[in-house]
Amino acid sequence: MTDIRTLLAALRMGDSAFPSGGFAFSWGLETLVEDGKVNDGAGVLKFARSQLRNRWATADRVMARRAAETRCDEEWSDLDRMLDAMTLAGELRSGSCQAGRALLRAHAGLGNPAALRWRRLVAEGRARGHLPVVQGAVWAGSGLTMEVLETLSAWTLVSGVAQAAIRLSLTGPLEAQAILAEVTDDIAGILAVPPPDEPHAFTPLADIAVMRHERGNVRLFAN
Amino acid sequence: MTEPLSAARVGIGGPVGSGKTALLECLIPAFADRGTSLAVITNDLVTREDAERLQRSGLIEPRRVVAVEAGACPHTVIREDPTLNLDAAEGLEVRFHPLDLVLLESGGDNLASTFSPELVDYWIFVIDVSGGGDIPRKRGPGVLQADLLVINKADLAPHVGVDLAAMTKEARDVRRGRPVIVTNCRTGEAVVDVVDHIVRNVLFDG
Repeated sequence: MTDIRTLLAALRMGDSAFPSGGFAFSWGLETLVEDGKVNDGAGVLKFARSQLRNRWATADRVMARRAAETRCDEEWSDLDRMLDAMTLAGELRSGSCQAGRALLRAHAGLGNPAALRWRRLVAEGRARGHLPVVQGAVWAGSGLTMEVLETLSAWTLVSGVAQAAIRLSLTGPLEAQAILAEVTDDIAGILAVPPPDEPHAFTPLADIAVMRHERGNVRLFAN
Repeated sequence: MTEPLSAARVGIGGPVGSGKTALLECLIPAFADRGTSLAVITNDLVTREDAERLQRSGLIEPRRVVAVEAGACPHTVIREDPTLNLDAAEGLEVRFHPLDLVLLESGGDNLASTFSPELVDYWIFVIDVSGGGDIPRKRGPGVLQADLLVINKADLAPHVGVDLAAMTKEARDVRRGRPVIVTNCRTGEAVVDVVDHIVRNVLFDG
């Protein structure tokens, strides 16, 4: 049983009102809509599942866990560099760093010591501040347990996708909630088994969409 | 909230088409003439149109203009969650140190948009006569709360049936005497007054 303070902390940090810029990213969904590849709620569900299973579960989760377990600047920087090297699409890299820096800024502003240290590393050019690594470090620094931290990381991904889907007119707000309820089992299933030893990701359709987004005319979102 | 930033940040908000970018195009050379080290952030709603217009203008080094996407949330990115704009401001400040002033143009929005005090030190709301002489009377939060209200396109008043004197008086009344400047950003008319306000109230070196 999660203690009430941890639960409240997770609710507060996972709230879309927590100021860390998540609303500006679609992670490829904007271009998939533009290209006619995703047209409705069913498409959004598939996209969310693919992001969860083929990127979050195999890469982001691994990185967030490692970052949560380490307290050493060098190890953090290494994780960050590895994620940078693993991420092919430019706007996935820049989006992950932009979102990571935003999360750092918010937590540093609230006095989180891990966030203050990480912000210094980014300012010194020793890390870029990729989102999963920042999530692991900062949320562990906020006292979240590994289980809650992982759940929160998966939640912010799918909740961001659902909100982007509403603003892209793919779903209404209730259908978006139904999609979020639907992926609950996916998240629980992923978290019920240990993560892979080494991080890897394979989401080619979304990756190509993100690459195409760089030259797209319509840019409601940063990626 | 401690920020390691020293450049002043000034927001420019207002409805679509009221002349925010045109005002910027007047302010940039005016500050360049004063020797103010300047950078610009635009929150274009759908495209990079405004950022690219400024980058191509020849008025400012293109790298000093950055676009921040707002995910279709122009209110959010300047008020509820200005984190991405703060990050962009910090990036500009690191790259162009020392920077005196960052001008932040909001995506065209409606009368309810206001800037967070965590994002800007001072903000300007731009409306124009062709949007209707009754805009001040509607008492939108942008019109009421901005540090400075600019009523633009003064020259169009007779063509759109607006009594400019009455509109300006109503604006001063609803703002309880806080500053209102009537401009024509196409010709640069009265822009010097806007510059003076920023210099006196934000840069403190006038």
